[in-house]
Amino acid sequence: MIKILIRYAILFVTTLLVLAALSFSLAYLFPGDVLVNLSGITPHNAAQRAALMRQYQLDEPYIFQFIHYVGELLRGNWGYSFVSGLSLREEIGIAMPATIELSAYALLTAILVGVPLGCFAGLRSYSKSDYIINSASMVSYSFPVFWLALVFILIFSLEMGVAPLSGRVSLLFDVPDKTGFILLDIILAKNIDSALALGDALKHLILPTISIALISTASMIRLTRRSVIDVLNSPYIAAAESRGLSKSQIFFRHILRNALLPILPLMAIQITTLITNAMIVETLFSWPGIGNWLIQAIYQRDYPALRVGMLAVATVVVSFTILIDLFNRFIDPSREKYERATV
Amino acid sequence: MPMLDIKNLTLEVDNGTARVKALDKVNLTVNSGEIRALVGESGSGKSLMVQAISGSLPPQWKITADRMSWKGQNMLSMSSKERRELMRRDIGVVFQDPVGAMDPSATLGEQLEEAIPDELVKGKWFWQRQQDRRKTAINTVHKVGIKYHKHYLNAYPHQIPVDIGQKFMIAMALISQPKLLIADDPTRGMETTTKAKVLKLLTRLNQTKSLSILFVSHDLLAIASMSHTMTVLYCGQTVESGRMKQIRKRPLHPYTKALIDSAPSFRNDLPPKSTLPALDGTIPSLQHVPIGCRLGPRCPRAQRACVVTPGVRRIHDHTYSCHFPLHMEKL
Repeated sequence: MIKILIRYAILFVTTLLVLAALSFSLAYLFPGDVLVNLSGITPHNAAQRAALMRQYQLDEPYIFQFIHYVGELLRGNWGYSFVSGLSLREEIGIAMPATIELSAYALLTAILVGVPLGCFAGLRSYSKSDYIINSASMVSYSFPVFWLALVFILIFSLEMGVAPLSGRVSLLFDVPDKTGFILLDIILAKNIDSALALGDALKHLILPTISIALISTASMIRLTRRSVIDVLNSPYIAAAESRGLSKSQIFFRHILRNALLPILPLMAIQITTLITNAMIVETLFSWPGIGNWLIQAIYQRDYPALRVGMLAVATVVVSFTILIDLFNRFIDPSREKYERATV
Repeated sequence: MPMLDIKNLTLEVDNGTARVKALDKVNLTVNSGEIRALVGESGSGKSLMVQAISGSLPPQWKITADRMSWKGQNMLSMSSKERRELMRRDIGVVFQDPVGAMDPSATLGEQLEEAIPDELVKGKWFWQRQQDRRKTAINTVHKVGIKYHKHYLNAYPHQIPVDIGQKFMIAMALISQPKLLIADDPTRGMETTTKAKVLKLLTRLNQTKSLSILFVSHDLLAIASMSHTMTVLYCGQTVESGRMKQIRKRPLHPYTKALIDSAPSFRNDLPPKSTLPALDGTIPSLQHVPIGCRLGPRCPRAQRACVVTPGVRRIHDHTYSCHFPLHMEKL
């Protein structure tokens, strides 16, 4: 148990170190002054410049610069944005939860809709209902997410006017930023009508969530269906049938668990796609998330922001992936046989 | 009256272009209290037979039979609920590959306890029932010869050796106190001592509890010592069926004779360094089954009449399907 934890911790730290090295090298690879790229502060005179040089230890060899850089990152000193001049840590602290929130709702929708539909299709494999579900998921999987989001805006916001066009919540509600997650913030906020604000926030959420979730749901359906069919064909299901267990007993005790176990690591792979899609959709819906923020940074050539933004997004993706894998490692008893020789 | 009575069982499957008969008019009966051996090479349809009886055939197989009955009840016209009930209480099945036939994500104890029918569990409240289930599981595990129940009941299928897995499969089949045990090659891949133990266990169960056993195997040596009657399958056709002693002494079908001759331990007159007698060729694949008697192309006694499938002929309780049987010249 502890060994596994240590192994995953080492994997996590090494991956993050590589990412940090990449982000550090970006300061050199981006055009312009290294000092400015690293700190985000443009020095006005030679004295200030020398002081900054000393502060970032740029006069030392690269390796010491990097160690210092990692130390600064851990201390929370991520540099300042070119454009706004604000601390990058605060800006990302506001943008990142918005993205995570959006992705989480999309993932939740994908699981709640995708897994039952996939199971249904898998249990009735090669029947008419299976073909319908399968082709519907194929079609929705092949939609480009930005096109889909635009079509949604066109139909639901502009033509029908049932959902708002952009943003997280109507400007009429003054929601103080506490956790960064809008629904939690609304519940925590004291001076507003929470029910009204929640309704409004949900209306804002629905279009971006659906446009991301549609693609994730489609892949979830396909993964679950395949997995259920594989499990159905395995000898232990035949054995369970011959033991006279009922259909529902077999499904809940044997099929479901064994079908979902291999899906979990595949879900970890899906997270990358999910967050990428979320970032694209954010720009279309002006959702104040990290994707939108990064695009703005690219337009404005905000190099320090790009450097840290890339690191922040990568860290989130890596942590989720490793956490899911670790979780799967703990709940799947048959995983251990691949790690050491069987006797 | 036989417990399990199967007459002219035919299993067909579409292989894309044509419909293939994997089992062609197979007959099998198991009387109560007997050990019936079902013998045949690999690919002769033994395991299909087991699946057909246990009702776990994949849906693409089409099953037809003149008669397939359990104690007089027709198994084919049963509702799926009745069929399940029958499998749950009266028939226990031991599958070929023990590790594959167990759920990889559940412990052996959980799976064993799941196989106990509810009416055999004593106690009113769920914790009493839980305790009773555990007790029954431990008892059964001891009965099949596993000592360290604590260790093995909490183990997952991939953590146990194959012979323990096989014993667990037997325990799982026996825990519902069935009347018939279908053992599909239960000694495959075991070394001799474990094999002897498993066979002894089955024989003892047959003697003490008068459990009927359908023993499916190609291991003639193991079968000959324990079974009372034998049915020989070749390429999906029943070739010969009768009492073990009779068949061993005077096989009527050329295939049975070849099968018995090919087992060296049955012959005490085998000179040193002589070639072992075996039929030429191999068992045909399902795509290219010969017409008529399927042994035809390999049979040393085949003649023109063999392109017509031979009917079942009977001498007392010994049945065979051959146009030109052995040992019949004098009659």
